[in-house]
Amino acid sequence: MLRRPARPRRVARTLAALAVAVTLAAGCGGTVDERSDGGGSVPTELTLAVGGEPDDGFDPTLGWGRYGSPLFQSTLLKRAADLSLTHDLATDYRVSADGLTWTVDIRTDAVFSDGQPVTAEDVAYTFNTAAQQGGLTDVTALERATAVDQDTVEMRLVEPRSTFVNRLVSLGIVPEHAHSADYAQHPVGSGPFELVSWEKGQQMVVQRNDDYYGELPSFERLVFLFTDEDATLAAARAGQVDVASVPSAMATGSIAGMRLEAVPSIDNRGIAFPTVPDEGRTTEAGLPIGNDVTADLAIREAVSRAIDRQQLVDGVLEGFGSPATGPVDGTPWHEPAAAVDDADPDAAIALLEEAGWVDTDGDGVREKDGVRAEFTLLYPASDTLRQGLALSVVDMAKPVGISIRAEGVSWEEIDRRLHVDAVVFGWGSHDPTEMYNLYHSAQAGIELWNPGFYADATVDAHLDAALAARDEETANREWRAAQLDEHGGGFTGDHPWAWLVNLDHTYFVDECLDLGELQTEPHGHGWPITAGIQSWRWTC
Amino acid sequence: MALDLLTGTREPTGAPRATGARARRVASGALRLASLLVAVAVGSFALVSASPVDPVQAYVGAEARSLSPEQLAQIEARWGLDEPPLTRFLAWAGNVVSGDLGRSQIYGEPVATVIADRFAASLSLMALAWLFSGVLGFGLGVLAGATRGRVVDRVLTWWAYTLASAPTFWVGLLLLYVFAVSLQWAPVCCAAPIGTLPGEASLLERLHHLILPAATLSVVGISPTLLHTRQATIEVMASDHVAFARAQGERRAGLVLHRVLRNAAGPALMLQFASVGELFGGSVLAEQVFTYPGLGEATTQAALRQDIPLLLGIAMFTAVLVFVGNALGDLAHRWADPRLREAVG
Repeated sequence: MLRRPARPRRVARTLAALAVAVTLAAGCGGTVDERSDGGGSVPTELTLAVGGEPDDGFDPTLGWGRYGSPLFQSTLLKRAADLSLTHDLATDYRVSADGLTWTVDIRTDAVFSDGQPVTAEDVAYTFNTAAQQGGLTDVTALERATAVDQDTVEMRLVEPRSTFVNRLVSLGIVPEHAHSADYAQHPVGSGPFELVSWEKGQQMVVQRNDDYYGELPSFERLVFLFTDEDATLAAARAGQVDVASVPSAMATGSIAGMRLEAVPSIDNRGIAFPTVPDEGRTTEAGLPIGNDVTADLAIREAVSRAIDRQQLVDGVLEGFGSPATGPVDGTPWHEPAAAVDDADPDAAIALLEEAGWVDTDGDGVREKDGVRAEFTLLYPASDTLRQGLALSVVDMAKPVGISIRAEGVSWEEIDRRLHVDAVVFGWGSHDPTEMYNLYHSAQAGIELWNPGFYADATVDAHLDAALAARDEETANREWRAAQLDEHGGGFTGDHPWAWLVNLDHTYFVDECLDLGELQTEPHGHGWPITAGIQSWRWTC
Repeated sequence: MALDLLTGTREPTGAPRATGARARRVASGALRLASLLVAVAVGSFALVSASPVDPVQAYVGAEARSLSPEQLAQIEARWGLDEPPLTRFLAWAGNVVSGDLGRSQIYGEPVATVIADRFAASLSLMALAWLFSGVLGFGLGVLAGATRGRVVDRVLTWWAYTLASAPTFWVGLLLLYVFAVSLQWAPVCCAAPIGTLPGEASLLERLHHLILPAATLSVVGISPTLLHTRQATIEVMASDHVAFARAQGERRAGLVLHRVLRNAAGPALMLQFASVGELFGGSVLAEQVFTYPGLGEATTQAALRQDIPLLLGIAMFTAVLVFVGNALGDLAHRWADPRLREAVG
């Protein structure tokens, strides 16, 4: 009987030995590659934890590189730090008199990382492929791109569209000869870097493309970590990354050897009001439209003027942001004169009194024709930032006699109720098409655009003119006029949206790393910081 | 012998009968597995189809703001979502029978490749965590059971309850901050040192990167194994044959080693093999905290974003693993406890 337990004992002993071995291994493997910070020598490698891992790989025709730098590919045009347009692969471009044909000249000295030259054929192929692929870049405005000769491409559009220039900025050119099924995993391009390895969900290593035609980056190798927020912060605290993107709520502490960089963005938050009364109308999908309270301009304007935007920035954003004056702050098509004089409850009260909203029963909420000045403000329940904004707005509207009920719901519910209740939305793009979508009457009820069914003939005319413009300058002038034109027209005075704040995107950056002049970033925190990666310098 | 009479243990029955029984067992097992897979596939597909999440919206995410309805229609067409659900399911099932699991929508790669890549990373993590929790849970359970009511037992039981109620995610973050950030003994992320290329990292480095995620993940399994083993040990300690051995003069250590271990191992083994499914759930969180690229993360993505081919692929793969785990558990239990061989065979 004493023989039996022998086997379990042997197993136990083996397991114990294994456990010891594992523990020992953990003990001696403990050196993590630590760069000697401030040791005088300039590092050739940077480690960045700025998110941005694409699920479906690095194919621009499927949407890679919409924000920031496509890294492996280069684009026809680029936006400088002030968001003005500059040339990249293109040396020039012209738009025909009818606005339908865009002719782009491309440089002849660019080569793909496999040694083949970048030709007009490749550009035409890239645009035609992107137009037909169901990816995350929208090139549906293109009818057909054709290579006229070795260095000229002609693109025919379905209709005149000044914003097509943003596809020239965001669409990285792929080589026709190497655009195979696994291109997204093994990109070949004419950008400043080449992919070395990509371990999904973990990290990506890239190296400098020494054949790049433009300014060569000063770092030979970049490592991108795809850590989530907590792990990113942990890696920064452990001194293992040079740039770490962290949400502003987590950016309050300080990290030795790193500075906090708060980059302005047009990542904004604002309230969309239903601008039409409830007359029993519904959308094609059967969703109800209209709200009798917010349909009154006096209510919308009073809310917008009662709000103290600076207080929202200080209180809700912890100072990492700026008051929003419109949907496109900081862009070349922004009209600064369209800013609302806010934090003025007295003016709001005067507006309401004049419009006939009076508190007759003394309950603190005004009424007009038996209707209480009361509406619901929806926000996605999972978003604490929008919750904070919504609750603060409720408090700011209360003293002027407007009762707002803030309600946190799912996105699915917002999709059903966005035409009858006010909603806290977030927008912000380097493409002014977004402004067109938010304010044009033709976009009412489509996707999440113009949810309040705002319609104004003058605004529509300016937006249409901007879209049909043949040059950037005219387009920007019309975009600005849509906000506020010389006759006082424009959407600002109608308050279909009350813009609240623009967020700052926060990054911890190594004290020795100079990021150059940074762009106002679009909606989306993290990868956009790579837009100027070629001009990053080590200063220690 | 006397002890055999007391515990009711008898020798296994004759060989021919056992072989026939085994063949029958294997056949019925295969049948059960096949019907399980069909049920899992149909069930998962029905659930996913009934979900209110729109896969295209989930794929484009924040991008929806900039894409036109025409572009969204293009994406839908690329994935074949414009077909009715039944047509899609039948097409998918036909492909699976011929060995093609389809293409993942979000990763743009064959489902089999995604699962193979991710599982390769998950395997070492789950295996180590499984071993940790099994060895620790069983060892400490026996210790607690043998010292029932004393300080050691009370501390261990309290610890087990604490672990059972601590969320994996929280434990992971705690370990991360203590060992990776403050003490810097362990790396903060990934399956290999930052910046190394695939294949460059040594075995030691890999183990070093594995240790925190595995420790976190094993936390899921330790408490149940510990508590069940403790209970089993207590029961065995109170049994007649232990009383008999004790009467013969055997001491505590010998008693535990010779009389209790094997009897208490049954439930622990069963539990350990049955916990393979739970390991999957826990690995999702452990992988997220430590940026360890495994199947867990792919599963979350597939579910949240309605990547139907990938989700079904993973569901079936997991079903097979859990099934095999349970079958192995049965076998192991039978090996540990000869009485069961009789009962089932």
